[in-house]
Amino acid sequence: MSALETLALHHEISGFLYREARLLDEERYDDWLALFTEDAHYWVPGVTNRQRRDPIGSIRPEQMAFFDDNLQDLSRRVARYNAETAWAEDPATRHFHLVANIEVEDIAAGDIATGDIAAGDTDDGAGEYVVHSVLLNYRNRHRDEQDVLTARRRDVLRRTGDGLRIVRRKAVLGQSLLLSKNINTFL
Amino acid sequence: MNTASAVDISRLVDTEEGWVDRSIYWDPDLYAQELEQIFARCWLFLAHESQLAKPGDYVTTTMGQDRVIVTRKRDGEIGAFLNSCPHRGNVVCHAEAGNTRGFVCNYHGWSFGLDGALVGMHEQAAFDRSPGFDRTKLGLTPVAQVATYKGLVFGTFDPGAPSLAEYFGDFTYYLDVLLDNDEGGTEFLPGCISSVLNCNWKVAAENFAGDALHAGWTHDSGARAMLGKGVASVVDGESYQANVNGHCWEFNLDLLGNAATLGDRAILRYLREREPAMAERLGPTRARMVGSMASVNVFPNFSFLPGQNTFRVWQPRGPQQIELQTWVLVNRNAPQEIKDAYRKGVMMTFAPAGVFEMDDGENWEYATRANDGVVTRRQRLYYGLGLGTATTHPDLPGNLYRGQVNDANQRAFLGRWAELMQADSWDRVTS
Repeated sequence: MSALETLALHHEISGFLYREARLLDEERYDDWLALFTEDAHYWVPGVTNRQRRDPIGSIRPEQMAFFDDNLQDLSRRVARYNAETAWAEDPATRHFHLVANIEVEDIAAGDIATGDIAAGDTDDGAGEYVVHSVLLNYRNRHRDEQDVLTARRRDVLRRTGDGLRIVRRKAVLGQSLLLSKNINTFL
Repeated sequence: MNTASAVDISRLVDTEEGWVDRSIYWDPDLYAQELEQIFARCWLFLAHESQLAKPGDYVTTTMGQDRVIVTRKRDGEIGAFLNSCPHRGNVVCHAEAGNTRGFVCNYHGWSFGLDGALVGMHEQAAFDRSPGFDRTKLGLTPVAQVATYKGLVFGTFDPGAPSLAEYFGDFTYYLDVLLDNDEGGTEFLPGCISSVLNCNWKVAAENFAGDALHAGWTHDSGARAMLGKGVASVVDGESYQANVNGHCWEFNLDLLGNAATLGDRAILRYLREREPAMAERLGPTRARMVGSMASVNVFPNFSFLPGQNTFRVWQPRGPQQIELQTWVLVNRNAPQEIKDAYRKGVMMTFAPAGVFEMDDGENWEYATRANDGVVTRRQRLYYGLGLGTATTHPDLPGNLYRGQVNDANQRAFLGRWAELMQADSWDRVTS
């Protein structure tokens, strides 16, 4: 890709992630769900403190997670937010999702700076992008509740007839012990 | 043992007429007394044996606010020790789980075996020259008693505590519903999700001990998300609250009430298909309890939900804070797809982003925080629901009450709490 094409792609994907963040800030969860493909996987693994030498590592797929969702699972979480009896959402939480450190890698172009395209990320790679970002989520609730979460995200985005869509998201929290009572948002 | 108290505990909990003094959810002095009278004496949940499958496996956790390491020793026995070096007190193991030959303190290199024994240190010769230095007396302090019940590992700091079998008494009849409904026994799925809630530990423990009432109201939105409709009204005559020694199980006999909220039909098929085998093992009554609408608290702070199979400990972190640890229990012989379904189901329901747990947390935090008000906390709380509902059933042991919408188990939990807070010896505790 030319420098101009790279810049345009980065601009397009940054805009997509910023808009996604605003949908979450505004609790427009149905619009947010529409950003995912039918085969989407959304994963926020639990993080275990283990010794560096431990081959098991701090996260693994078979371990308990905060989210390990397909589109139906995400839809069920949204159904709760949409219910009038979601007592713990009323009055509303004030949400802020800040997206930063965005890096875009074009799978088809073989433009993989970090070399970490996973097997199964894509069928042929055409129109798919690996996107890294860092998320800072601030929540404020009632008068004095505030919670800050950070996550390193790795997304696979796909270009579809409707525009960019999220195929896969892995968001690894900065916290192992969640220093909040809940995660009443998406990351 | 610290039993000195300016407060007459017996006046705080009225189990006869169902009134509770709010200071028990607020008072820092009562909290300090709880750490001594409850958490330094009772049998507390430590781990599932499946987390300690082979020698060298370990997990770290807490008993009350005391940090402990739980290990599978070389001889295959399970050991538990204070996670604090006897030299300068530093924590010797910061990992939450792993496999090791031993533990080495980062501060001065004191190293300990899987049995807690001191095996060496930095500049050992200098210690050996010091008069009176005796390595054999400087191991990690052991937890006084460690015992298992059908895969679950418990420990108590009190050498005078009754055996785990006596501590449970007839409650094992109920524990077996989840721990022994299959010949292969149970296991915890990998990983523990933990979170911080700003509530008193008893608020959470009481909820699981016997608050079926809140399910249909608090969790309406969660039920709509997972079932497409609200929680069914509990008018079923076949529902009960049972308690033994302060351990509480509220339930009905609908087989699938809790399990259905996991939103996966494969789990329902699994339970339906297994009902005859479970009935053969446990009898028909207990077979109907395996996935039913129910909740459980093992005194003081170990809770679980049949059906959802979420197992959790409410670790006290002060009068107004807990650390919640959550695991998933499954039958070891269950197909992998069923195990995965439970893992995902717990994440969807009773985990920090779960559609049920989110509405619990806020209630528990403000049921605790409202007591900051000096006038507010002079107002007693009403715990009289279901007075006069004591009953009997040919199959069901313990103190039994008809109707799971009832405060009977919460009264029993708090009655046990008050008894232990006052008793200076286990001889004075009823069993």
